[in-house]
Amino acid sequence: MDLTPNDEQLALQTATADWCRDNMPLEAARSRRAGLWQDLEAMGWSAMTAPGMDLDHATEALVFAELGRFLAPMGLISTAAANRWFAGSFEGKAGLALPVTGSDAMRILDPVEAGTAVMWSAQSVALYAAPDDQPHRPTIDLSTLQGRQPSTSPVAVSNAPTSPLHLQLLSAAYAVGCADAARDMAADYARLREQFDRPIGWFQALKHICSDMAVRAAVARSQLYYAACALDAKDGEAAFHVAAAKRLADQAAIDNGRANIQVHGGIGMTDEAAPHLCLKRAHLLQFIAPADAALLLEDAA
Amino acid sequence: MDIGFSPEETRFREECRAWLHANVPAEKRPLNADEALDFDKAWQRRLFDAGWAGINWPEDYGGRGLSIVEQVIWLEEYAKAHAPWIGSNFVGVNHGGPTLIINASEEQKAYHLPRILKGEAIWCQGFSEPGAGSDLAGIKTRGRIEGDELVVNGSKIWTSFAHVADWQELVLRTEDGSQRHKGLSWAICDMHAPGITIRPIQKMSGQVEFAEVFYDDVRIPLANVVGGLGNGWKVAMSTLSFERGTGFIADQVKQSQEIAELIATARGSGMIGDDRIADSLAQMRAEVAALRAMTYRNISEVVRTGQPGPEASVIRLFTSELGQRLERMAVLLMGDAAIDFAYGDDNAVGDYLRGFAATIAGGTAQIQRDIIGERLLGLPKSR
Ligand SMILES: Cc1cc2nc3c(=O)[nH]c(=O)nc-3n(C[C@H](O)[C@H](O)[C@H](O)COP(=O)(O)OP(=O)(O)OC[C@H]3O[C@@H](n4cnc5c(N)ncnc54)[C@H](O)[C@@H]3O)c2cc1C
Repeated sequence: MDLTPNDEQLALQTATADWCRDNMPLEAARSRRAGLWQDLEAMGWSAMTAPGMDLDHATEALVFAELGRFLAPMGLISTAAANRWFAGSFEGKAGLALPVTGSDAMRILDPVEAGTAVMWSAQSVALYAAPDDQPHRPTIDLSTLQGRQPSTSPVAVSNAPTSPLHLQLLSAAYAVGCADAARDMAADYARLREQFDRPIGWFQALKHICSDMAVRAAVARSQLYYAACALDAKDGEAAFHVAAAKRLADQAAIDNGRANIQVHGGIGMTDEAAPHLCLKRAHLLQFIAPADAALLLEDAA
Repeated sequence: MDIGFSPEETRFREECRAWLHANVPAEKRPLNADEALDFDKAWQRRLFDAGWAGINWPEDYGGRGLSIVEQVIWLEEYAKAHAPWIGSNFVGVNHGGPTLIINASEEQKAYHLPRILKGEAIWCQGFSEPGAGSDLAGIKTRGRIEGDELVVNGSKIWTSFAHVADWQELVLRTEDGSQRHKGLSWAICDMHAPGITIRPIQKMSGQVEFAEVFYDDVRIPLANVVGGLGNGWKVAMSTLSFERGTGFIADQVKQSQEIAELIATARGSGMIGDDRIADSLAQMRAEVAALRAMTYRNISEVVRTGQPGPEASVIRLFTSELGQRLERMAVLLMGDAAIDFAYGDDNAVGDYLRGFAATIAGGTAQIQRDIIGERLLGLPKSR
């Protein structure tokens, strides 16, 4: 039993964060530079667990949490799933497909330069043709565009029980990173901003908001690690643990996103400042592979 | 990273399980501290004789000298077997002994540690005073040095197990005119010494488990000072780190049993049909899972680096508040039967009322949040 990253994983984690800081800063998430996707692919992050790669879910989750911390493109989640489950029939970039409630259209998140899209359900992941020829529209998350297309039949479906868990785990990792980013942004600001002649983080009312952000982030990250290991170990309760991770990570991302804005005061509400980027990403993430509360109540395996 | 245990660890787990299965007493632990004393002592002695006391204590002092991982496995199996709460031995085993292991002289260790492990000596903790709660540095109890003795005057409060204890972790002011953290000492006080008066205090749940302690010219040999005169603050902090740290390893198992029972109860009564109840049960089930993950992360950190990471304070806060939500849910699920609570009842209402201690004793939730903000996030100190 060991739930701390080993030296190799730590090095990979640090290298990922360093690369992101230099090449994909969070503040630039509102409009990502051209060529970013190609760089991400070149770093290997869209195919970490593709056949032949021999990497475990734990390592992939660690890296995706770092990517999530910088609000990396949503298409990495779906492309990682496509590379893993549809190897052979897939290459390039896959958008993330979501049904549109009350219509038979589907949304394709992050469709730019994608040719296909991956849709998650609790039982499977499915690959759809999704040529990037539809007009792009905004989503609540400024870093994510969407296209719309009529629902069609999938070109491939993976019913492997692990396939939906894998995508759910990666989106939980993104949410954990997002919660971390909000916590750190808030703590940085609370150390810096002064009112009444002292840093606002001196005031307990603010300090304790930040402490609660740290608790939520630690809770979600711990469960993410456990869930990733459960998946690697083919544990009978893996589905439960991944769902728990997703639920706690979504909550941490949204609650920390909200708290971060409060900690920033007026500037926190502006378009110019970064806090809303985390909050909006959190709101998008809760629609990706959401945790089923009924599963969390089921008897232990 | 992995969540599996080695074959040796698994074998150790099976040994624990087999012994507990054959030896856990069938009768429940009595609730009041004085009634429970004999029970606690006998149970601790049985643990010691079978080699289960002090699993990660040094062998020289009666322990097994194993690692914290074996300690965790034991505590997990202990909770799963519904073995009795450690009760009167809590202070000695969970933080008195560990404090001595790190800070005490050879004589002090050789005398006290085996007695603690055998359940022969009951300890209590004399830190809090009427004027020194969260602000522990406000301690006023005085120890005047006379020859090779301290002469103690003052009072302590909220001392759990005071009226059944043989020894006390006593933090007192031994330097005239000293302020705050300076001039304090951590001494081993004989609770049977002349000049000690104990006034038991009843809790709102009905139990009498803590007390006020008065010291009137109580004489303590200077040889009983631990870690040197004037170093009391440092020693007290190590006591608190044990009290707040490893004491909570087993919570995750206990709370996972509690949530499973609550879900079963809510199914049985049909209350699970209420979406709000179902959702909060689902939430707590996920949180209990995360608590285990956090505990394992913390243990892994100890194994890797020799000490728990600063996130131990996060576990402490999280488990205390989660425990209170579980207790509150248990009362909700009782329905109107909760109205019938009377002192002496050992039921969910009693647990709920006693459970308020989790966010007060050993440092309140507010103090824990200060610690997290300051040590984990680097925010400026408020105090
Ligand atoms: C069941 C139980 C068993 C105990 N057993 C022992 C024992 O065996 N030995 C022992 O020495 N002590 C024991 N205690 C005492 C315990 O450690 C203290 O109660 C605790 O440290 C709080 O001190 P206080 O009660 O004086 O509350 P106070 O410190 O007066 O706090 C009152 C309220 O003010 C808040 N507060 C205080 N200071 C601050 C601050 N700076 N910022 C924000 N909020 C603040 C607190 O969080 C709390 O909500 C026990 C307590 C309980 C409930």
